[in-house]
Amino acid sequence: MRRLWLLLIVLLVLTLLAGACGGAKSTQSPAKAPIRIGGVFDLTGDLASIGGPNANGAMLAVEELNAKGGILGRPVELVLRDSKTDPVATGTAGTELVEKEKVVAMVGLVDSDLALALGPVCEKAGIPYVSSGATSPKLPSQIGRTFFMAAFGDNTQAAAAAEYAYKELGARTAYVLWEKGIEYTTILAQYFQERFRELAGPDSILLVDFYMQGDPNVPGQVAKLKSLAKQPDVLFLASEPDDSGPVVKQFREAGFSQPIFGGDAYDTPLLVEVAGPVTDVYYTAPALLAENAGTELGKAFYRKYVAKFGHPPENAFPALGYDAVMVLARAMEDAGTTEPKAVIAAIEKIKDMPGVAGNLTFGPSLEEHTPKKQVAIIRVVNGKLTLAAMYAPEKVPAP
Amino acid sequence: MNRRSLLSALFLLTIAALILLVVHLFAGAYWTRIAIVIGIYSLLAVSLGLSSGFTGVFSLGHTAFMALGAYTGALLTLPVQVKQSTMQQLPGFLATTQLHFLPATLLAGVLPALVALAVGPAILRLSGHFVSVATLGLLLITREILLNAESLTRGARTFTGVLPLTNLWWVFLWGAIAVYVSWRIKRSAIGREMFASREDPLAAQALGVSILRARLLAFVISAFFTGIAGCLYAHFILAFSARTFYLPVTFEVISMLVVGGMGSVSGAVLGAVILSGFKEAVRVLEPGFAIGPIRVPPIYGLAQIAMAFLFILFMMLRPKGLLGDREIGGLFWWDWFRRRSASLVERS
Amino acid sequence: MSTLETLLQQLFNALSVGSLYAEAAIGLAMVFSILNLVNFAHGDILVLGVYTMIFGLAAGLAFWSAALLGILASALIGLFVERIAYRPLRGAPDVSLLLTSFAVTILIENGLILFVSASPRAFPLPPYLSGFVSLGNLRLPVIDLSVILGAFLLLLVLTVLVTRTSIGIAMRAAASDLTGALLCGIDINKVIAFAFGLGSAIAGVAGIGWAGRIGKIDPFMGLEPVLKGFVACIFGGFGSIPGAVLGAYILGGMEVLLTAFLPSEYSQYRNAFVFIILIIVLLVRPSGLLGKTDKEKL
Repeated sequence: MRRLWLLLIVLLVLTLLAGACGGAKSTQSPAKAPIRIGGVFDLTGDLASIGGPNANGAMLAVEELNAKGGILGRPVELVLRDSKTDPVATGTAGTELVEKEKVVAMVGLVDSDLALALGPVCEKAGIPYVSSGATSPKLPSQIGRTFFMAAFGDNTQAAAAAEYAYKELGARTAYVLWEKGIEYTTILAQYFQERFRELAGPDSILLVDFYMQGDPNVPGQVAKLKSLAKQPDVLFLASEPDDSGPVVKQFREAGFSQPIFGGDAYDTPLLVEVAGPVTDVYYTAPALLAENAGTELGKAFYRKYVAKFGHPPENAFPALGYDAVMVLARAMEDAGTTEPKAVIAAIEKIKDMPGVAGNLTFGPSLEEHTPKKQVAIIRVVNGKLTLAAMYAPEKVPAP
Repeated sequence: MNRRSLLSALFLLTIAALILLVVHLFAGAYWTRIAIVIGIYSLLAVSLGLSSGFTGVFSLGHTAFMALGAYTGALLTLPVQVKQSTMQQLPGFLATTQLHFLPATLLAGVLPALVALAVGPAILRLSGHFVSVATLGLLLITREILLNAESLTRGARTFTGVLPLTNLWWVFLWGAIAVYVSWRIKRSAIGREMFASREDPLAAQALGVSILRARLLAFVISAFFTGIAGCLYAHFILAFSARTFYLPVTFEVISMLVVGGMGSVSGAVLGAVILSGFKEAVRVLEPGFAIGPIRVPPIYGLAQIAMAFLFILFMMLRPKGLLGDREIGGLFWWDWFRRRSASLVERS
Repeated sequence: MSTLETLLQQLFNALSVGSLYAEAAIGLAMVFSILNLVNFAHGDILVLGVYTMIFGLAAGLAFWSAALLGILASALIGLFVERIAYRPLRGAPDVSLLLTSFAVTILIENGLILFVSASPRAFPLPPYLSGFVSLGNLRLPVIDLSVILGAFLLLLVLTVLVTRTSIGIAMRAAASDLTGALLCGIDINKVIAFAFGLGSAIAGVAGIGWAGRIGKIDPFMGLEPVLKGFVACIFGGFGSIPGAVLGAYILGGMEVLLTAFLPSEYSQYRNAFVFIILIIVLLVRPSGLLGKTDKEKL
């Protein structure tokens, strides 16, 4: 028994010591001291499949910046922490980065819930935080002036989907299926219905159904849709990344050949891997990253990613991680300093900055901390991804 | 309670308060956060110990009470304007009231306690693991209801805008109250009945102990404090949903109790401190560290793995936990303190 | 589709979902009946089996060989976990075993994230399993038919096993009264190991069915099967394998039929309905519909 106590105490002391001593300390002069940017990403936990690539994009950006001499002539250091897809760990990591590592700015996180855990920490410290993937348009008003998003809001992408379906695909009726249990799919479906009803009339949504998060077995829902007298022109299936493949597969296999529309969660190799060489599946995304399709910036990013990591980008989230860091870099260069208030003001002045995930425009009001961006509408043709359009919605539902 | 135990309790309280004062004044936000997290988990562990440890009824669903407390507390403290903009469908009374933290926390404890009172008599009659299974069912049902009652809880959507009202002192206050209540119960007649019903239910019944009454009392009080912990937690993380209160948290709290000693109040606190501390220490190491010339690369997820290993280790080597049913409470330290000061006085 | 056709289609769905749950539940019930342990790691043993199969496929094995490999891997991992994590705890209270199984789950999940990847992977089905059979207006996916067939065969094999073979009878003896079985000279360790190995192998089969229907695998996919199997066992009675199967079909049936036939406002609450029925069952018959009766009732 004594041995157990001894072992415990030794373990605790060792880990505390290592934690205290670990980590490189910079010995360079202040003028050349590295600019430390904090990055909290979902490296483990449920969102690891998105958070990992997201972090990779940020790392790629930092590498590029340093190859060109850094920001304001100083090297850039990305201080990474794991959110563990858990709000408590996120808050602790953020506090650690702000207090101990003394970062001057923050990037990271793709989930709005976790951004809400990290945001207040940065707001309190006054340092700018650019989220590399959270999409809830309410976040800036919930967190404060230090918060910016590199991604478009869910209301924007849902509106783009509704308008595109109505105008380009001629859809007048729709079916909506949403994944219950997470915020993203819930509000995505709601925004879609709101915009679509505005365009096609109050009765244009023929049936709304849902399935539980993590359980994409939907034979019951498929059969219910089949039993409708009038079949819809378009199916809007709001799922999270892991479930989009299975859901799309089940609807296509059941014989539904109308266009299927999804959100940026469809942006995963799993969609085609699981659903097979489907066609007429559309989804909104930050970007199309492919070797031979999409924008020029997209293609260049694709090549850089393969060169550094040895495999193609898993989804578009690396682009957002990259853009988030570049927004900070641009703002710091514009402001001529890393002083937080000046950087924040500089971000707000950014207009039409080219990004891998589309051009970004910010503004001084909180609403404008969610960037005005075009939405990439990606169309799957026989299993191949093509860029159908870069679309900016005319009207976006209020958050 | 005799004078010695009163003095020893006061002694412990003073020491704890002094430590907190130091943390509050000198430590930064980081250490304060750690202290708050340890405090909330201690509260959760002590509450669980009161029910599962004392009566042996292993509740896998206590997190349901935590969730209920979190939603109740948050709903009551949310400012009216926020309610009007994000939660238009709240029933009349809730939509127009905003309470101070103290009454809100109290109510956050009362609601789960009422639920426990309602379902307890049905569930607690079962024995052994059937109860555990039933409590797990309670957790799953509560989660379902919370996910669906959108007008009250925003359903699957995140409940945001919670006021950051939790601070070190509130956590300390409620923790101290919970520890005190647990400790008193343990040393009282009803406490002995609880332990008796754990050790040998048949013999206890033969002696006239009402097993149901003992279990129910423990269950309800435990639900009360767990609800309060949930309320404190909600006002700490500021944004949560029904997903937040599920199996991972359940497992963490149970581990703390197991490590510290199921039937021991100080054990619960000890378990919470050790596991939270260890988890944070390992998390700090995750980005990679150096021992002399050896540089260890980043291993994300190490904290979770280390916790699971530690747990299994304890299960094998010391399944009763570090303290079992013993306490290292006030008396222990008070006597130690007096002995040391007495020997100091002798020498001078 | 006519109402009759919709009904038949939904019945078929209920049957296939129920079979899937049954495959997951059998292994759980088997282990529980002997050891009084709800093995939460069951789900992750399933996951490891499926991952092994994917690696086998990537290495060039044919579908069925890879499947066999996966099932074998599940069985071996189950044996390993039993030996390392559960056997040392043989005399400990039930709760310790339950919690240890939680810990094993966390280890396996995080281990997979570290050593393989957190990203989900596609689970490719061979062409003859990916299509569907048309019966009039009914569409019956082949994979669903296979799952139903698989569950049926499994039950058949198991019934023969526990009634005709000596190890099977020994398992039933141990399930009925562990001490009594010991006194009869049965090697308990062997029986328990067999139950674990067999139960885990069945988990591997369930995993293939699960992954086949959904089309993808990821480190966290084990939670769903274990929860469904768990609830099925509660319905049917933990100590009884036929009970677990019955519970699984009831659960699957309720889920599908509630989804299909409840009007929209109420179908939102369908999961809550299922659980409330669950609690009622627990109250009326705490040991489930077919389970061992609870000897102590206070």
